[in-house]
Amino acid sequence: MPQNETIEELGLDEYKYGFVTEDKPVFKAVPGLSEEIVRQISGHKDEPEWMLEFRLKALEVYESKPMPTWGGDLSTLEATLDEIYFYLKPQEQMERSWDDVPQEIKDTFEKLGIPEAERKALAGVGAQYESEMVYHSLKEQWDEQGVIFESIEDGLKKHPELFRKHFSTIVPTQDNKFAALNSAVWSGGSFVYVPKGVKVDIPLQAYFRVNAEKMGQFERTLIIIDEGAEAHYIEGCTAPVYTTESFHSGVIEIIVNKGARFRYTTIQNWSNNMYNLVTQRAMVHEDAKMEWLDGNLGSKLTMKYPSCYLVGERAHGEILSIAYAGNGQHQDTGGKVVHAAPHTTSQITSKSISRGEGRASYRGLCKVYDGAKGAKSNVECDALLLNETSRTDTYPYIEIDENTASIGHEATVSKVGDEQLFYLMSRGLDEAEAMAMIVRGFIEPVAKELPLEYAIELNRLIELEMEGSVG
Amino acid sequence: MTESATMVAEAAPTPEVKAEGLDFGVFSAGLDEPKALTALRRGAYESYKTLSFPSTKTEEWRYTDLSKVGFESYAPTRPDHEVDEAYPTMVQDVLDRSGDRSGIIVQRNGRVVHAELDPSLAEQGVVFCSLEHAAAEYPELLARTLDAAEPAEMEQKIWTLSLAFSSGGYLLYIPRDVRLEAPVHSFRIIDQAGSFVASQSLVLAESGAEGAVIDEFVSEDIDALSVHSAVVDGGDNATIDYVALQRYGRGVKHFSIQHLISRRDARLGVFNVQLGASLSRGDVSSRLLGQGCDSRMHALWFGDSDQHFDHHTLQLHAEPHAASDLLFKGALSDSSTSIFRGLIRVDPGAQLTDAYQTNRNLLLSDKAKAIALPSLEIEADDVRCSHGATIGQVDDAQLFYLMARGLTRQQAERLLVFGFFEEVLARIPMSGVRARVLEAIEGKIGV
Amino acid sequence: MSDFVTVARFADVPENGLIGVVADDRPIVLVNREGTIYALEDRCSHEEFPLSSGDVASGEITCVLHGARFDIETGQPRALPAVMPVRTYEVRVEGDDIQVNLGD
Repeated sequence: MPQNETIEELGLDEYKYGFVTEDKPVFKAVPGLSEEIVRQISGHKDEPEWMLEFRLKALEVYESKPMPTWGGDLSTLEATLDEIYFYLKPQEQMERSWDDVPQEIKDTFEKLGIPEAERKALAGVGAQYESEMVYHSLKEQWDEQGVIFESIEDGLKKHPELFRKHFSTIVPTQDNKFAALNSAVWSGGSFVYVPKGVKVDIPLQAYFRVNAEKMGQFERTLIIIDEGAEAHYIEGCTAPVYTTESFHSGVIEIIVNKGARFRYTTIQNWSNNMYNLVTQRAMVHEDAKMEWLDGNLGSKLTMKYPSCYLVGERAHGEILSIAYAGNGQHQDTGGKVVHAAPHTTSQITSKSISRGEGRASYRGLCKVYDGAKGAKSNVECDALLLNETSRTDTYPYIEIDENTASIGHEATVSKVGDEQLFYLMSRGLDEAEAMAMIVRGFIEPVAKELPLEYAIELNRLIELEMEGSVG
Repeated sequence: MTESATMVAEAAPTPEVKAEGLDFGVFSAGLDEPKALTALRRGAYESYKTLSFPSTKTEEWRYTDLSKVGFESYAPTRPDHEVDEAYPTMVQDVLDRSGDRSGIIVQRNGRVVHAELDPSLAEQGVVFCSLEHAAAEYPELLARTLDAAEPAEMEQKIWTLSLAFSSGGYLLYIPRDVRLEAPVHSFRIIDQAGSFVASQSLVLAESGAEGAVIDEFVSEDIDALSVHSAVVDGGDNATIDYVALQRYGRGVKHFSIQHLISRRDARLGVFNVQLGASLSRGDVSSRLLGQGCDSRMHALWFGDSDQHFDHHTLQLHAEPHAASDLLFKGALSDSSTSIFRGLIRVDPGAQLTDAYQTNRNLLLSDKAKAIALPSLEIEADDVRCSHGATIGQVDDAQLFYLMARGLTRQQAERLLVFGFFEEVLARIPMSGVRARVLEAIEGKIGV
Repeated sequence: MSDFVTVARFADVPENGLIGVVADDRPIVLVNREGTIYALEDRCSHEEFPLSSGDVASGEITCVLHGARFDIETGQPRALPAVMPVRTYEVRVEGDDIQVNLGD
């Protein structure tokens, strides 16, 4: 089919980050998971006793919880987990100056465009390579205003009280099997605190790279946005293409205090052999606003449902989700909103494209507790199917205990319409160009929300490549 | 953080569903009935024995806990031979006020007490009779209809329960190209507290046949268990409408599994109107097995006190070029609960499918609760599918407008509920059927 | 209205531990924190799982199913996924008897 040639030209299926860098880790644990590995991780990080106890308890919880039977196919995951490396330390210490990062790691990030990203006026950059943050920097002006942007390990060391007060209160160990696994073996991730009233108006960025084969990455991020503060955090993820499967299971905990605003953007472009099972959750207080912008392009299987727990009056949550599932990919994504206070509002917008034998599933929850007077939630899902072998599913859960709530859910599934194609072709485009334009138009509402500073990856994949193929 | 020694449990404990009080040996001993019925009953019981009741861990049963039904506490009504006796005045009242009909079957507890069919239809080969009679005279039609149903795994326990303990029920057979001008009307009355009545509604329409059925379920406020299974098989180009009007009294627990099969160019409609019972669970599946067929599924429910309505639906598109639409609407007052779980499934190759699914809920009280789980699984690309669910309230402006004209809040609210139901009521095919449904709703809502 | 009912003996509740009891058809979890007894509804506000299957530490009870935590004194949620409090009951110890006020 000619239309597919051009879809390929869009670059969605072409993986640009599949290169491998020769690595010389300073420590590599044996594959598989055991109490010994958990103790080694904790020992390498020189952690307080309570954290070791926390990890060991989490390991018990992980082992006691059954593998989920819903969502994607996890039937071969257990075998994969027996073979992967749960901890791999790439260098002795984290660097504050880009020049001090070891050359081969630097090469990797330079290929990915990280220094370039930093030059584009980001407030701060963190980079994780394998299991550890290799680099963290924060612009001086934010440092002076009391903003904290550290590796999670430094957060625990330097701000023990703030850390312990909030850690694991948003995503507890027992929440789900993979949250328990992360709690046992977490390593890397960011610790962010934005003090009262401080508005960080340019984004903080974190970059996650898995380089080694059979690697498991378990970053843990804790973000606290204090009253009236504002910030935007962006993460991007890539890995080489290996024939064996890799595993990524992050836990992101976010607290948005009274009147604060926060946006968390993920552009996930893991290679197509990666299991990506992530728990991302925010607690949103009175008059605060939380936005998730979630782009899932890569991975073999992603199961990820960013959540907003709206616990204060007039709290607002927004989830904008885009998924692309090509051959061999299953994107099981969506969002959850829990309304637990009066006049809370939420909006979920999901757009997915399934191509070839790809499968994109929307899975969502909208829950309104009794007493959340006047809560309003609206969910819109659009799925586009490009081939007869493509699959899409929609599984929303709507549970309403409050009679003054007003809730709506709409989903549509369509193929690229012949009428649309015909119309565009009658205006002088060939079929391939017309198809590309329709796909771009479909993604546009999400793509336009992305900050230009971060366009290195996604813009090339979606916007620029499509323009190229059309023009 | 000090951790206690308590180990982590797997998940919520799920109590066993007890049903050993349902003694099949006692029930079936010495039954004098047609061989086909005995074989059907015994076959179903063999499967029933090996199956377990689904627990709330089964996704489809998450919100209706069968362990609380108390199956073992009910006594199955033994099927008695069909007799012809005067039917209760309540049935007569309804019939007096309804329009034309092609036939009537009245069942009281486990026994058919009256069956009649327009003789001119009987002459054309139409069959409308008790299951007992069908098993004796038309065993092949009975088998054909039941074979068409494919109960899902999570339905099988209750499906086999309904067949093993079957008492009463009917078969409607419409031969090729025969058209019923008026509906057939069935009544099931339970007036024996503590009883368990299981029965079937079997409808088989040959190519080009047309007809409509009203199934009414009636009782006083008594503690009883009702298990119902229905098969509506629409042959090529057949047109069938099936209406289930459930107006049991409080205390009744009602389970109904309905399988609709549409063959090439068939047009099937199903309307479930749920007004009564304390617990009412409906599993309605529509399988579109022929090109060009069209399935329309509708339901209305109005809940008060602590009524619990749980609807589970399937629109299965197995063939290309078919259309299905679903519209389920519920209004909930007091502390009533509604669950809607629906799936549109489009198999690979079922191109040019049009499938729609809508669930709308009105919450009229602060204790009422609604759960909506509409879902889509699409494995063909040239389709038009959409679903929508809403949960909301009656419009304040409309409410105040009506109250300003002298209605009480409750009157105004109920009038608006009628307006909310209108969209479904308008789709009920024959005016006589529509009038009957309207009357029943008025009886419940009391505008 | 006070409506104290004996629900357990003091010795039944281990120091810094908990037990589940049923009084008047209501599931109640009793917590012993350094000799002081607290009583809460034995039902997590998240998915209604019995809290008595969980742990208690640092004045918080943790639901074993998804990790929700509650303050044993106030019943207020201290960790997601719970967002609603659980009911607490007034407790008194009469001799060896633990009594819980079931009145509203």
